[in-house]
Amino acid sequence: MHDGLLMERRLLLQRAALLIGATTLPIGDLLAAPATNAKPVLSAPQLELLSAVADTIVPVTDTPGALAANVPALVDAMLRDWAAPATRTSMIEALDRIDVAARAKTGKGFTALSPDERLAVLKPHDTASLKPKPSKPSTISPRPETADPGYAKLKELIVVLYYQSEVALTTELTYEHAPGKWQPSIPLTPETRQTGGLTAF
Amino acid sequence: MFDAIVIGSGISGGIAAKELCERGLKTLVIERGGKVEHGASYTDWMQPWDVPNGGNIPEEELVRDYAVQRHCYALSSATKQFWVKDSDHPYSTSEEKPFEWIRGYQLGGRSLTWGRQSYRLSAMDFEANAKDGHGSDWPIRYEDLDPWYDHVEKFIGVAGSKEGLAQLPDGEFLPAFDLNDAELEFKKRVEAKFPTRKVIPGRVANLSEAQPHHEALGRNSCQNRSICERGCSYGAYHSSLSSSLPAAEATGNLTIVTDAIVHSIIYDPKTKKATGVRVIDSNTKKGRVYQAKVIFGCASAIGTAQILLNSVSEAFPNGLANNSDQVGRNLMDHLYGQVAAGLFPNGPTTNYHGRRPTGLYIPRYRNVTEGADFIRGFGFQGGVSRMGWRTAALGFPGVGASLKARTRKVGGWVVSVAGFGEMLPHADNRVTLHASKRDKWGIPLLHIECEARENDLKMAKQIAADGRELIEAAGGSVMFQTTDLAPPGRGIHEMGTARMGTDPKNSVLNRYNQAHDVPNLFLTDGSAMASSGCQNPSLTYMALSARAAHHAAEFLKEGKL
Repeated sequence: MHDGLLMERRLLLQRAALLIGATTLPIGDLLAAPATNAKPVLSAPQLELLSAVADTIVPVTDTPGALAANVPALVDAMLRDWAAPATRTSMIEALDRIDVAARAKTGKGFTALSPDERLAVLKPHDTASLKPKPSKPSTISPRPETADPGYAKLKELIVVLYYQSEVALTTELTYEHAPGKWQPSIPLTPETRQTGGLTAF
Repeated sequence: MFDAIVIGSGISGGIAAKELCERGLKTLVIERGGKVEHGASYTDWMQPWDVPNGGNIPEEELVRDYAVQRHCYALSSATKQFWVKDSDHPYSTSEEKPFEWIRGYQLGGRSLTWGRQSYRLSAMDFEANAKDGHGSDWPIRYEDLDPWYDHVEKFIGVAGSKEGLAQLPDGEFLPAFDLNDAELEFKKRVEAKFPTRKVIPGRVANLSEAQPHHEALGRNSCQNRSICERGCSYGAYHSSLSSSLPAAEATGNLTIVTDAIVHSIIYDPKTKKATGVRVIDSNTKKGRVYQAKVIFGCASAIGTAQILLNSVSEAFPNGLANNSDQVGRNLMDHLYGQVAAGLFPNGPTTNYHGRRPTGLYIPRYRNVTEGADFIRGFGFQGGVSRMGWRTAALGFPGVGASLKARTRKVGGWVVSVAGFGEMLPHADNRVTLHASKRDKWGIPLLHIECEARENDLKMAKQIAADGRELIEAAGGSVMFQTTDLAPPGRGIHEMGTARMGTDPKNSVLNRYNQAHDVPNLFLTDGSAMASSGCQNPSLTYMALSARAAHHAAEFLKEGKL
């Protein structure tokens, strides 16, 4: 967790407290952040590689991308605060495999490539990694096991952290914290954006 | 000395406390969990980027502390404070007949996190045990509970539509959260193919339109955020904190004690009445006693059974009020976990606005208008909605600008249905006190065993088949299905452990939720249920609580207790 993020949360909390009129907020534990000078899990080169991968998966288009949403730092924080050691290893190894794929294809590391070259490496790698494996007979799973589960998880983190960011929810998708009245039928236009928010599907 | 003690502050206890207080009884509510403040303790202020770890609980913490609770759909990094740590509250179960005990210990209990679906049991449900011989004969019929359903629905606020169905009685409704256009189309196609099946708006305890008496309690209309399980600062859904405890408080007759675990109920063999409760302070582990003229057990089905089984005396060697040997037995949960989902083609070109706190409901039709190779029946909860950003982004390969482009578009329609089936009561589905293991407060651990049996398994097969058939009949294609039942308990509708009945030999409670063996003891939580129906049970718990409180107060006034 970075200082900026922590500060933002505390400010939001204070503002919320004023609105509700509460004087005690026994949810401090939820906001308990690791030490303010918590070290990144990833090394500097790995962070650089992660940034290049995140920027390729969710690039700048007519809206900001993963980098503007601070996704690399957020992924690193989740590797540190959320991932179990095996998950952490699996995702870091998946990250390295992208670099290996770049070298195999171009002779250069992923970060040394241009954005177009990076996409040319990642696109087939993504397709191959996400090829589904068959699952249990009594279940058709919405999330079938894939050829490279570490890559699938890494991509999921990058994508989800982007789409749940303030940047994405104010520029790319629509999000209202309190939509207000339920409207069961409204017109849909080609310009209507997908709605964002924490969702299972 | 209080007039009444209510054990537990959850969905039943909150209503019992309100009704007792409103009848002039000095009432003590005892809650084993800690204090939670309406508004202040909630996390509904969090926008998506505020939620720790994107909503995920750290993996090792999940395995270490939430081994059972992690199966609960409502557990996330924004709600974990409202669910027990299994590591702090262990229980024993069996490998062959595992039970998942999903619970929250705090002021308000699971009324803070409940799914809010609110359906009445019907005449056929109250008659079922007598008719087919499974379970104890309910000592009441629908007519007895009808006015109390009215009373509770009006107070808590239930949004729904009048449908005139015998198997799902209409209630006192606020305007329904209407079906969206795709659901109306789904309804049309399903009802055309199956003329006696109905697709209706889900009936839900959210204020579609707050009424003056709701606003008087500080409650506001629902903002359609669908983050209810974090606690709602608008008070838009009914909970003990937003609704029933404030109403009780307003009478001046309410006292609340938290962090106090009821160890046992004290029985006086001379007066043949309960006199009070022994509690253990959850922090200091010190014991103390509270006394009252009337005791209400509202600690949840399993919690209440535990207290009774642990209240052993010379008069009740098998546990208080347990001459029938039924306390702890007949544990039921709804048959749960079977979901079918898929694409819904040729849907309307309109959209909707808001994250509605309910979906659609398909009331029971098996053994109502259509036959079956099993008895009793099931309903479906579900919805038809636009495919979300998550599926669009991650459900297909592809990265870069193309990923953003497909995720930005409003998606096609997705339909899902999830079955809730009636489970039959069985004497060997039960909770007992562990012979040797104790919790950190010295109270014997519970051993819980429960399994789906012949009728349940036949019904489960039909639920899976019908779920698929509904989607395909509506022109959809099933992309995802779980056909296996979840272990009992995951439905979070556990009940039956101190059931009502006409015969004191096979039941614990009479027609007033009054213990056959202890006249000033009333149990009004899920333990009281003689059968499970397929309808979400909380509304029935609340109606029973209100009715029993009314009668308990009358009996007290008449000098009968």
